[in-house]
Order: sequence, then C-alpha cells, then structure tokens
Amino acid sequence: MEIIPAIDIINGKCVRLTQGDYSKKTIYSDDPVEMAIKMESMGFNRLHLVDLDGAAAGKIVNLNVLKAISQKTSLIIDFGGGIKSTEDALLALESGASMITAGSIAVNNKPLVKEWIRMFGADKIILGADVQNREIMINGWKKPTGIDLFDFLEEYLKTGIRKVICTDIARDGMMSGTAEKLYTEILKKIPGIELIASGGVSSETEIVKLEKMGLSGAIIGKAFYEGKINFKNNLTKRIIPCLDIKNGRTVKGINFLNLVDAGDPVEMGKLYSREGADELVFLDITATNENRKTLVSLVKRIAENLDIPFTVGGGISSVQDVDMLLCAGADKVSINSAAVRDPEIITTLAKKFGSQCVVVAIDTKNSGGKWNVYTHGGTRETELETVRWAKEINSRGGGEILLTSMNNDGTKNGFACDITAKVSESVGIPVIASGGAGKKEHFLEVFRKGKADAALAASVFHFGEISLIDLKRYLAASGLQIRHCEGKTVAL
Amino acid sequence: MKVTLIKYNAGNTGSVTASLNRLGVTPVISDDPETIISSDKVIFPGVGEAGSAMNCLKEKNLVEVIRNLKQPVLGICLGMQLMCSFSEEGNTDGLSIFEEKVKLFPKLAKVPHVGWNAVSGLKTPLFEGIRENEHFYFVHSFYAEKGKSSISETDYILNFASALQKKNFYGVQFHPEKSGVTGSRLLSNFLNL
Repeated sequence: MEIIPAIDIINGKCVRLTQGDYSKKTIYSDDPVEMAIKMESMGFNRLHLVDLDGAAAGKIVNLNVLKAISQKTSLIIDFGGGIKSTEDALLALESGASMITAGSIAVNNKPLVKEWIRMFGADKIILGADVQNREIMINGWKKPTGIDLFDFLEEYLKTGIRKVICTDIARDGMMSGTAEKLYTEILKKIPGIELIASGGVSSETEIVKLEKMGLSGAIIGKAFYEGKINFKNNLTKRIIPCLDIKNGRTVKGINFLNLVDAGDPVEMGKLYSREGADELVFLDITATNENRKTLVSLVKRIAENLDIPFTVGGGISSVQDVDMLLCAGADKVSINSAAVRDPEIITTLAKKFGSQCVVVAIDTKNSGGKWNVYTHGGTRETELETVRWAKEINSRGGGEILLTSMNNDGTKNGFACDITAKVSESVGIPVIASGGAGKKEHFLEVFRKGKADAALAASVFHFGEISLIDLKRYLAASGLQIRHCEGKTVAL
Repeated sequence: MKVTLIKYNAGNTGSVTASLNRLGVTPVISDDPETIISSDKVIFPGVGEAGSAMNCLKEKNLVEVIRNLKQPVLGICLGMQLMCSFSEEGNTDGLSIFEEKVKLFPKLAKVPHVGWNAVSGLKTPLFEGIRENEHFYFVHSFYAEKGKSSISETDYILNFASALQKKNFYGVQFHPEKSGVTGSRLLSNFLNL
C-alpha cells in the first residue's frame, strides 16, 4: 500500500481545510514546492496535489506549482481541482501530472470523462468519490447528487477505471479514524478496484489496518502536517564493491599498495570490508565448468574469511550450480541469462533456497526510447521490456534485482537514474543500481532520484578514485541513512 | 568450551560456524539431545519457513529439549522467531520461550527488510561494548513485536524487537555472523556469558 501525502493549494499556499470548508483553513507552508521536496526527502514516492483555487474557479489556477514540483522532485503526482475541459486535462498531464483526479466532473459531465479515458487511458484517471452517508457529493462537497456511491463506482469501473479515491467528507481533517466499514464493503462488492482511503487517516496503526484490509493507498493530510504520522525507517543505503574473478583471481588493474596480494579476492574482500563495504559481489567472468571447481574453493575461502554478506555471480545456469555455491558459503547468488532463458528457475530457486539468496541481474540498454533486457554479457538483445521483466522477477520470488544500465556502464557519468527509479517503484524488492559511477555525487543521485536501495561499482573503488570511507562520510553528511564506516564497536 | 549449533531443516550453519571459527571456537553441529544438553553454549540458527521448521523440531523431538536448556542459548533470525509464542508465518505455535508474537511486516515499504539497520535500546551483557545505533545485517519478512522480553529495538516500517531475552535464552533477529566487527563482538559476548 502506498502512503500518499496531500498538498492542497489556496492562493499559492499549502493549506488544509476541515471538512472541505474554505473558512476553516490552516496554512502549513507558503511554499508548496518546498513542501513537496521535503516529502520526497522523507521517503514518499507519491503526491496528491489539489488545486483548490482551481476548484473554485472552474479551471486550473496553480499550474506553475505542478510544473515546479514535477521539475524539482521525482514524485509521482496525481493532480486535481478545476479540471473541467480536455485542454486543462492535457495541460495537467503535460505539466508533470502522472494522473488526474476526476471528482465533480465525473458526475456533471460523464461523456467528457469517458472521452479522457479513451484519449489518455484509464490508468491516467483517478476517480474521486466524495461521499456523505454513501451519497456522492460534488462542487466542493456542498451539493448532494442523490447518486449512490456503489452505482457510481460500478458505472465507472465498467469504463476500465481502477483507481478510486474515496473520501468520507465527515471524517476529512478530523483525524478521528477512517471509514473502515465502508471501505471493507467496497472492496468486497467491487473486485478489481484499487481503492485509496482518504479522510481521517490519523495514525500509523490505522495505516497498518488499511493495508491489511487490502487498500491500495491512503492519503494523509492534516495528520502528516501535524507530525502524527511518522514511519521510521533507519534502513541504510548499501554500497557494494564488485570484484571480477578469472581463474580464482581478481582482474582489472587493482591499485592498492597495502595489500599482500592484490590479485587475491579474499585479501581484496577483507580490505573493502574494513573500509566499510556493506556487501560484496564476486563476478566470475570466465564461468566455464572447469573453472567452477576453482570458484567453489574460492567461495569457501571467502566465506571463512569475510564477515559481511557476499553474492556470487557469473554464468550460473542450474539449481546444482546454486546449491554448490550456497553450500560453499555464498550468502546469495546472482543469475542473469539463465533466468531470461527460463524464468521458472527463479521460482525454483526461491522455493528451494529462499528468496533472500536469489539476486536476479538485469542488463538493460536504452535504444530508441525503449529499455530492453540484454543477455550473455550484454551481447544479445531480447524482446523483454525491463520494467515488465523486473515485475516478473518480483512475482516469481526473486529477492533482489541488480540492474545494470549498459548505456552508463564504464562512462563514469553517473547511474541511469530514470530506469532505476522506474524499476524500483514497480517492485517490492530491493534494487541494486549498477553502471556509471564516476564520483561521489553520482551515488547520492542514484539513491535520491533513482530510488535505489543499494549501489554497486567496481573500477572507481579498485583504482582508488573514490574511497569507501570518504564516500560513506559524504552520503551520511548529505542526510542519507548510511552504516557507520568507522566502527564504534570495541573489537576484542 | 563446547558450543553446539542445533541441526534441523532450517539451520544455516555454514556462516555461523565460520564466524565462530574466527573467534577460535569450533562448534559441534548436532540434533542429538544429549550433545545439545551437555554443551556449554547452544546456538539455534535459522533461515527458512517457520511452519516447516517447527514441524522438523517436533519430528526430531527437540521442542522440549530446547525449552528445558539451562545454559545460554542464542537464537538467530528464524531461530529467534521460533522461540516466540506464535508466528504468522505458517500460523504456527512456537517454542513459547518468549511471550512475544511474530507478525508479517505490513507492505508499506519493501519487504523483506534487507540490509544494515540501527539497533538501539540495548540491554543485557549480550551488547557489552556495542554502542547504541550500531548497525547489524537483517534479512527477514516477519518481525517480533516489542514486549517484556525485548532487549533491543529497530525501526523499519514499525518499531520492532530486534533482540529478546528471558533467563538463559537470547534471540536476535539480525545476523551477527554477517555483521562485521559489531556482529563478532556480539557473538563473543554470548560465548562469554
């Protein structure tokens, strides 16, 4: 379930009303754009933006706010208030709204809303159902329509609309609890609905309850501004150095003077671990059957020596391969081409060994605006679209996705934040971004804009261009949750 | 010192063994009640599914053996969860050493909770020498509710019990064997209890 903070705008300011009454108004910020930036930094991905000036005027008034928010944040915005014409609907969608909310207009001008569904697609329209005792209310919640909520929902669900924000007017701005009974009834009677609760959401406990009931979202307004809802999340962003292995030895010019043997993956792993690596990935680039034995004995040695989690990848194509590597002590394995060839292997591995040890790597490349999946070390293009493949990996039980953008890999110009964010927002499992790291700022960017859970890099660490210690200090100073790089624990 | 790792279908003994080896201890891996009872320390690791893990413990007649242990016992991850009274995973009763219940994280963020997270509110000598908000490595989808046995807490979606203790029984949700220097300090503290 998605928690969706709301910004309502009157006179360009960020306000909350009580039960829709313009005279009972509290101003929470003079600058809605600053507020949206703050919401994003708090970890929210969505925004419910309501142009109350527009609602009163019958046309969009605060388009500039929408534009500014969409330019300055990566929030997925649904926009509503005063959209009464196709021109305005188009303007909102072109100005950064991912969806538009249709409330009164869905009652007053059904043919128009149905035309929007045809023009823009049903997934671009959220139906706003504002109710008082199950009766649909319109025009700023003041005018009763005599229309029963369930008749209204059934009519629009037939048009292909799935997303519905149902606001219980009596509860809005009251922080007194949500219309749980009504929501339960809707979910039972109307299968396939993506119901978003609105009105009265006032505590974390309540949100947890809504999630269990099966709602797809919950809008929070006053409770957010008054600090009543504060989901804590201290999970840190992970930094993962990747070591390429050939015949049991590390490859790539490794530039460390203080190592006994820079070609020894175990020595390298220990060094990175001491410097604060959160995990390690060992990628066997030879990956032939003969080398498998060498790899297995190397993995044993790594497991004996390393006290942080590590993943082994490269040419893994069977359940037996995985079994061997996990038995040797790998915490996770990474599969790539084999999963594309036969997606069933993800399901099998997840069932047999648990999702937590199944990392699925995706090599992706943008050509002609489409991000497609590549296999065999990036040499073969497939028909698979990246986000769709990521969703399938997730639903088959994959534990994490390691996403490498081939366009960015090796450029040192930064990670592919766009596709990383798209994948990360489409799945419920962690996404490790890879490809393009050149400086510290790139890591910050891929965590903030790219919504990555972890970032992987190789050469910038191997050549000492970025030190792990400096990088983690920088990210922590920039406000990210980062694992302490200088251990405070007193080792015995 | 004789340290035994309990062997059952969900035991992930490799990395715990490696980590104990680094501390100079060679553990015995066993499901034999006599061996377990006669050890100085018992570690109850676990990666897997709660329902089938409990069934396995029942088949091996280990339920009462574990419940009646008198020496220090450390449950890790699923091991800790099985020491609780009930788990929503497989809707199974646990060993009921701790009264706390184990629940599924609401999907308000990515689940499982994977990675390094801060552990605070540290109690008992298990955390000797470890400061507040040190990070440990977690991988789990179910969590133990905070209750009277909590000896540390962590925030992910909810504030949950990341470690539990009652009498000689200790349990940690995180993986000390994968948590670097901090983790090996915790294991070493356990061995010194």
